[in-house]
Amino acid sequence: MQSESMEPNWAADHLQVIRTLMERSAVYRRALAPMMLWAGALGTAAGAAGLLWPVDHPVRFILFWLAIALVTMTGSFLMVRRQALREAEPFWSPPARRVVRAAAPAAACGLGLALVIGAHLLGEAGDSSLWRLMTFQMLPVIWAGLYGCGMHAAGFFMPRGMRWFGTGMVAVALVLLAAGNPGLEPFQWGHGVMAICFGLLHLGYGAYLVSTERPHAAL
Amino acid sequence: MNPEPFLQLDRVIHEKGRLPIVSLLAANAELSFTEIRDLLQMTDGNLSVHLRTLQEAGYIAITKTYRQRRPLTTCALTPAGREAFTRYVGLLEEIVRQTRGV
Repeated sequence: MQSESMEPNWAADHLQVIRTLMERSAVYRRALAPMMLWAGALGTAAGAAGLLWPVDHPVRFILFWLAIALVTMTGSFLMVRRQALREAEPFWSPPARRVVRAAAPAAACGLGLALVIGAHLLGEAGDSSLWRLMTFQMLPVIWAGLYGCGMHAAGFFMPRGMRWFGTGMVAVALVLLAAGNPGLEPFQWGHGVMAICFGLLHLGYGAYLVSTERPHAAL
Repeated sequence: MNPEPFLQLDRVIHEKGRLPIVSLLAANAELSFTEIRDLLQMTDGNLSVHLRTLQEAGYIAITKTYRQRRPLTTCALTPAGREAFTRYVGLLEEIVRQTRGV
């Protein structure tokens, strides 16, 4: 201990250790792979169902995808709860609260936008082709962009590439926005964008996590 | 270099095994035994010994409960522990300033 006082950098090293530990402890550590695969499988299946059913009315489109989001979040919630119970840890932990708070503004914007557009569709402007176009052509891309922003923000409290996943989601949304509809029926384009962003991207990230996650951290 | 700040460092916290524990608890309202163990990759026995030392010093409070019929041990810094940690970090910063001649 006395020799420590003669070492010029030990105090700075101790402070760095403290800082690193405090930051690391604030990171959300639940296994994400099962949640990503669940969300991806459901998103892809819902996209296919929306195309084949077909869900081609704008109000039904919004309700359909809000229902899928609710089912996805419920499933993810149950997976997180199961992990927490199995490890005898609190579910609503400080890192979990940070993640939810970081993602909440973007989620609220996405929900609010859907409700506003839905209200217009049900109101006097319901027949307007502008609002129909807005629902099928723009809303999926905006949802994907907002979701990417939310994941990027939450990624500051999550390990292993979540910020990159959020960035990728925003990039894909912008590319799809720039590319535009290549001539598909508007509802087909809408479901296609949703399936790509919320289905395939989740599946890709989930597959990456499965191949890299530590065995004991898996569900 | 003035050795006084070094001599004032709290020996309970200034220990290789205990400083990380106190750092984690300073960043979280409470952490479970398993969370601390996994984050620091310590053995159950080693962590128990350090937690007992910190508890005896009055720096942490240990709560034992049951969740879904499984024992759950949670640890949290006491006000005295938080004050000691703040003072400890302040002394380290003072030492760094002295070392750099600021």
